[in-house]
Amino acid sequence: MNSEITFERNRGIDPKLLELIVCPLTKATLEYDAVRGELISRAAKLAYPIRDGIPIMLVDEARKLEG
Amino acid sequence: MNIETQQTQNTHFGFSTVELGEKQALVNNVFHKVAMRYDVMNDLMSFGLHRIWKNTLVSMLRPSKTREFKHLDVAGGTGDVAFRILDAGGSKTHVSILDVNGDMLNVGRERAGSKYGNRIDFIEANAESLPLPDNSYDAYTIAFGIRNVPRIDTALEEAYRVIKRGGQLMVLEFTPVDTPVLDKIYDAFSFTAIPAMGKMITGDGEPYRYLVESIRRFPRPEAFARMIGTAGFKCVNYRALSGGIVNIHSGWKL
Repeated sequence: MNSEITFERNRGIDPKLLELIVCPLTKATLEYDAVRGELISRAAKLAYPIRDGIPIMLVDEARKLEG
Repeated sequence: MNIETQQTQNTHFGFSTVELGEKQALVNNVFHKVAMRYDVMNDLMSFGLHRIWKNTLVSMLRPSKTREFKHLDVAGGTGDVAFRILDAGGSKTHVSILDVNGDMLNVGRERAGSKYGNRIDFIEANAESLPLPDNSYDAYTIAFGIRNVPRIDTALEEAYRVIKRGGQLMVLEFTPVDTPVLDKIYDAFSFTAIPAMGKMITGDGEPYRYLVESIRRFPRPEAFARMIGTAGFKCVNYRALSGGIVNIHSGWKL
């Protein structure tokens, strides 16, 4: 993984914000995948992307997780 | 679309009846088209009054200058309301700007620059399913956004959920006009002049036709106040501004 890309993806994201936000579907806490720049909801089996430092907390924009 | 079988799932897109699921996509499309010129259009459409209305909203909110004040501004992508709250508050005032439209958020972030540091953050999400914990904000505002939400009652319930006990909801929204003469003038202005201006400024009149139609569809102030009460808010009140063109509704989570 190119670290510059990772940095770019997470540009300006406030760690406090990452701690605050929950899954919009289940309201459960999320895991932060710093490499992919995603917020993982285990319960909903969804990965929400972070683009240009803005978390995209929309189910339609989320990546479905296997299993 | 078969209207008879779909009836319970339908909502309004301006004056057209559309399926609930479809409305969000249509509304998004409207705002993607106008995001860049949004503020210019606001000035033209309201003769600059939207600035006064937003100032009034913030002066009624009165964010603390000294104590921690965590604020959520929904549908406020371009930052118009959020910046005013940050300017009125103190160093412990923090605003989360939440919008379903990424283009609007990008405009807001660009405008904010680094002025507010980590007192501001941006979240792309839906007002009907907030990605935020219960009881986490001192106040919630939504300015000219609630009428674009497909399920207004759901959005109000979500607002109630994320506001702390003792926290406040404030909604700034256009009012359907009900004075017969004013009505005609307003109609003439809104159905011809506003879409025409929209076309001139943003290259597309259709989004503004929608904006005007959606205002006429929005519940009257007393009906909307009842909806706020149904969501659980107490001491629900509203105040008309500029002869009733807009209203600020407020309610408390007690």
